[in-house]
Amino acid sequence: MNAASGGRPHARRAWLAGAACLGLIALTGPAAGAPQPGPNPAPVRLVRPAARPLSAMARIGRDLFFDPRLSASGRLSCAGCHVPSRAYGPPDGRSAPLGGLRDRDEGRRAVPSLRYADRIPAFGIGPDAVVEGAASPVSLAQPGAPPRKVAGAAGASAMVPQGGLFWDGRAASLELQAMGPLFNPAELANRDTAALARRLEAAYGPRLAALIGAPAVEDPRRLVYEAAYAVVRFEIEDSTFHPYTSKFDAYLEGRARLTAAEARGLAAFDDPARGNCAACHLDRPDAAGRPPAFTDFQYEALGVPRNAALPANRDTGSYDLGLCGPARTDLAREAKYCGMFRTPSLRNAATRGVFFHNGRYHRLEDVLAFYVLRDARPDSVYPRGPGGRARRFDDLPAADTANVDRADRPFGTPPGAASPLSARDRRDIIAFLRTLTDGYRGAAGSASGHEDDLAPGAGLHHAAVRLRRGG
Amino acid sequence: MTITRFVSSIAAAFALAACGRRERAPDALPTATPIKHLVVIFGENISFDHYFGTYPVAANPRGEPAFTAAPGTPAVNGLSPALLAHNPNAANGQNGTMASNPFRLDRTQAATADQSHDYTEEQLAYDGGAADLFPKYTGAGLGGGTTAFYTPAVVMGYYDGNTVTALWNYAQHFAMSDAAYGDVYGPSAPGAIGLVSGQTNGWVTDTAADSTSWVHDGQGGFTLISDAGPSLDVCSDSLLYINQGRMTGRNVGDLLSAAGVTWGWFQGGFDLGTATAGGKGCSRTTKSSIALQAAPDFIPHHEPFQYYRSTANPRHLRPASPGAIGRSGDAANHQYDLRDFFAAVREGNFPAVAFLKAPAHEDGHAGYSDPLDEQTFLTEVVNFVEESPEWPRTAIVILYDDSDGWYDHQMAPIGNASFDRRDRLSGTGACGVRGTTPQLGGVKGAGPVNGRCGPGPRQPFLVVSPWARPNYVDHTLVTQSSVLRFIEDNWLGGRRIGGGSFDAAAGPITGMFDFAGQGTTPRLFLDDSLGTPVAAPSNRLPE
Repeated sequence: MNAASGGRPHARRAWLAGAACLGLIALTGPAAGAPQPGPNPAPVRLVRPAARPLSAMARIGRDLFFDPRLSASGRLSCAGCHVPSRAYGPPDGRSAPLGGLRDRDEGRRAVPSLRYADRIPAFGIGPDAVVEGAASPVSLAQPGAPPRKVAGAAGASAMVPQGGLFWDGRAASLELQAMGPLFNPAELANRDTAALARRLEAAYGPRLAALIGAPAVEDPRRLVYEAAYAVVRFEIEDSTFHPYTSKFDAYLEGRARLTAAEARGLAAFDDPARGNCAACHLDRPDAAGRPPAFTDFQYEALGVPRNAALPANRDTGSYDLGLCGPARTDLAREAKYCGMFRTPSLRNAATRGVFFHNGRYHRLEDVLAFYVLRDARPDSVYPRGPGGRARRFDDLPAADTANVDRADRPFGTPPGAASPLSARDRRDIIAFLRTLTDGYRGAAGSASGHEDDLAPGAGLHHAAVRLRRGG
Repeated sequence: MTITRFVSSIAAAFALAACGRRERAPDALPTATPIKHLVVIFGENISFDHYFGTYPVAANPRGEPAFTAAPGTPAVNGLSPALLAHNPNAANGQNGTMASNPFRLDRTQAATADQSHDYTEEQLAYDGGAADLFPKYTGAGLGGGTTAFYTPAVVMGYYDGNTVTALWNYAQHFAMSDAAYGDVYGPSAPGAIGLVSGQTNGWVTDTAADSTSWVHDGQGGFTLISDAGPSLDVCSDSLLYINQGRMTGRNVGDLLSAAGVTWGWFQGGFDLGTATAGGKGCSRTTKSSIALQAAPDFIPHHEPFQYYRSTANPRHLRPASPGAIGRSGDAANHQYDLRDFFAAVREGNFPAVAFLKAPAHEDGHAGYSDPLDEQTFLTEVVNFVEESPEWPRTAIVILYDDSDGWYDHQMAPIGNASFDRRDRLSGTGACGVRGTTPQLGGVKGAGPVNGRCGPGPRQPFLVVSPWARPNYVDHTLVTQSSVLRFIEDNWLGGRRIGGGSFDAAAGPITGMFDFAGQGTTPRLFLDDSLGTPVAAPSNRLPE
């Protein structure tokens, strides 16, 4: 085990101890044990983003989001891959989306959900850079990096990468993230800024000019960035991007009861000796009362098997190594981060048809099986090599396999040994994961108090369907 | 009452009496003007054009707080049609692909990336007065959360009265300068230390001998040019600052204490005993709902008095009572939490001179704060002070520590030269012309010192007071030290800091007042989220 994979599990365990204690207090009271079926015995108040009418900028952003004219093919919009009715995630189970000039090019990575993307912090490798005025954009102007001395900061003493947009965190902001697909040849495939700006100016020029002034609209580069930021405002302001209307949210607030399977699933999800899922997929409200994000936004090398369905993987010498490239370029020399991808939120995971950065799996059952069998039964997870042995971590060059996390449960089971997660545990965890899907309306069908949040989402869904049909 | 408690109340009574002998109530102190209370709100990192470039004309898009100028509103030295459409920063090829005209930042773009604001980079951006290299040198666009506006050359962006609505309304009803500058180029700490001493020379390092945070002054000492931490402060540590140290020389607090004038520095997050959802102690944070970022409440290098042994409160000790605030002989040593200001005023103990610093998320600094959070702070403080019975004798000055590097088209004539290798304003290693441009001395008075190139970038400057000239724009060149000079003139009989301080030569801010009048400029209560006038304030206060 190298330093990178060695440092992180310790940090994780330290954090977990704290999280477990907090959980007891916040969820079930200090005397209680594992979660029980029924209502939350110690309900909490969740603090959700305030809902306000969309600004003019966000309304422009909403129109842009659904506008296929932003693509070179004229057929693909943002919503084509980030489907509102699927929590702004992919429309189907395809490993990576089709796009490009003829809608026939396939990318290399699964579509991440844009829902709750507002929670993702800026990219940083913690503990963050020492603050000093000499390099002055930093002079304490960078609390964007992980907070330094804040109680509960995960792995405060470890050099842990976290945050940033895309699977590899290469975009510093949602605005820069929005620019990526616009110019990716396998996605919206705009040739250059000028080409996109021409289309933007024709369709949105006057509306944007009212906000940023006519000279800025005439500057192609500025126009493109402004349009990207308008999309960001839509993502920030529209409550369909952060509804927090899952059954689990309702349970936390004392408005829903967990079934026996869901309660057992939550217990296995939390149990450091079994699922240990909550070590990375944090399931407690934070100190400010914000609903759990179900991610710590940190990076992890899991050693997910190579996905033969991706055209890019026909080149056997080509690897997607996440933090260290090739899509991301600034950490190419940091071998200790090769193979690491940002931990996604598990909210709405049950609505997805594709999992992990390379889209290797398509069902939650298979995802759970990967966690359980990766070390205990590698031959059931990885293809066999020439000698008949499983080619473990076959989506990483041999030199980078040392970065794979082998210490955190449920990993680390000796070959052939029984997994810490039973088959029933896995079924229960999936039952629990289904409580993380937004749109819960209560057992009796009564609205949860968020019908206003849900209604626009339903409308957006219909719009997206129309667009995908070529409308 | 037990005997012990009785004895301690007697002791407290004596302590108060002792204080009472030393300081006189502000209303009883002789002053040169009708002002008995000065509140200095010291914001973060704004250039004049960034907030007032198109004043008093706002775009007024539907759905945003509207601003329409009152008849007779004077013009300001802002962004002319030529500067808006044919700006030298768009024309200068050295800016490369970042070349840009100024452009409007919408209210939805309140949270932006931060700009570079170093001593050298700011000088380079002004390009000897052409002011045409901002995208290249200060337009780094770093920091800020994932939801911030990161557009290239955002350094050229400006807000109008639909975003900085409160400040535009204050300018309409009270007085403003369009010729106010930082004393020197560079970031927060030199700006803050300059505000209270007019002097950034006299730095003593407690860490490395050499650093990019200070320069050798040419007289055997050091001048601070960047944000090294105040080593005396318990919240300043090596995790936060590579370089830490102290200031020698005097500051205005020393002078006020000696003269028996009550004063204090009141900063958000200073009370380390308060716990919030954002934690406690030095590491307490608050998350802005606009910038969507958690910022530390207390930032040590924004507190200038913590750099001086005579005025520091290293462990952030609490005042004995609201009645002790502003007075010497108390453990707090004139350094307080922001909330102590409100407590003291409510107690009828409004200090003569109060410096106010917002908790960081409301200080206006791009990257972790924003104009809308800043507006909440400003309006809540101003509304509160306007409701005080002392309002008829009060002036609020709103100014900034530095420009953040945001574009401003107007460079001041160089008033104080410097010839360090970090100076670039008039050429490599030069700010000013040797032998021609004046160059003040340092705290030791030995001869001209380097590292004080100024005045620095232009910044907003407003006076809110019943004695302010209504809807008035003053064009007298003033700097941060002009506030220092006003304090000295008003309470200290014109006594100066000495030791090369800028106070002696600083321009007067009295042009923004009408002391010959009746002091009847009406109060203006503003909504703390919209910045628009309201009949009665919300009575909310910043934390």
